[in-house]
Amino acid sequence: MKIGQKFTTKNVNNDDNMVPLINVVFLMLVFFMVAGQIRKADPIPVVPPYSVNEARAATDPNVEIVVGVDSTLYIDDKFIEINRVQAYLEQRFLEDSNQENFWVQIKADGGIPLEKLRPIFNQVRLAGLTKVSLATQLERGNP
Amino acid sequence: MSLNLSQPKRKNAISLTPLIDVVFILLLFFMLTSSFVPWRIIDTPLSVATDKPKDIAEQENLILTLKSNNNQVWFEGGAIYFADQARFEQLVMDHNNGVFMIKAEVGVTLQTLLHLADQLKLHGAKSVSIANAFAMTAESK
Repeated sequence: MKIGQKFTTKNVNNDDNMVPLINVVFLMLVFFMVAGQIRKADPIPVVPPYSVNEARAATDPNVEIVVGVDSTLYIDDKFIEINRVQAYLEQRFLEDSNQENFWVQIKADGGIPLEKLRPIFNQVRLAGLTKVSLATQLERGNP
Repeated sequence: MSLNLSQPKRKNAISLTPLIDVVFILLLFFMLTSSFVPWRIIDTPLSVATDKPKDIAEQENLILTLKSNNNQVWFEGGAIYFADQARFEQLVMDHNNGVFMIKAEVGVTLQTLLHLADQLKLHGAKSVSIANAFAMTAESK
């Protein structure tokens, strides 16, 4: 019978079944490529404090200080002792070509007590740097 | 002799399986590396210590003190709960020509500090200073 023959020949090529799959996968690929931002992961997991503040950084920070909830300190992905921060920052500032726009970002966990942050701010101040920013994330829902 | 030059036309010249392999790898890469939470920043300009302290007496400074993480702030001897919207509105309306300076005692977390700063900002405070909370105090040295 002719009808039966028609159906059997169509199922020979298995790749035909993959076309819808590829369509979906391509759509997802395009979505992630366009909507996502590729960024370096933090050396330790940090949950920044929530805030209604919406300001975004215009440029990338020259130095990024990551402070974990147990107040471990990482600068530019390297573990560092608190008393060496000032020297490191001074060295980075001297090496930089664009000293006018040199700024430091402090990415601290929201649960960290403020007295643990004070020595870090003090070290930055001792290094003579004044442009410092705290990283936050936008609060969702009811503030 | 007759050469069969006309090749039979195949429907799919390339198999789709290697294509999917590559596309899946690309998809995995983009899914794992992309982040959708953009970071926001709060500027906390640090003042370099000078010999002469700046004369800031022209502006009224209000000192709000955080004593613990129980969602209340101390101001002029009384506690204000963060949830007390009317009280915050009154506070901001009465003193909006001044600077709201937030101080924090031992144990107060960064999230609590920003929560208070947000409350003041949401009620229309023009100038909120959180830099004081990060300044070294005599007892923390």
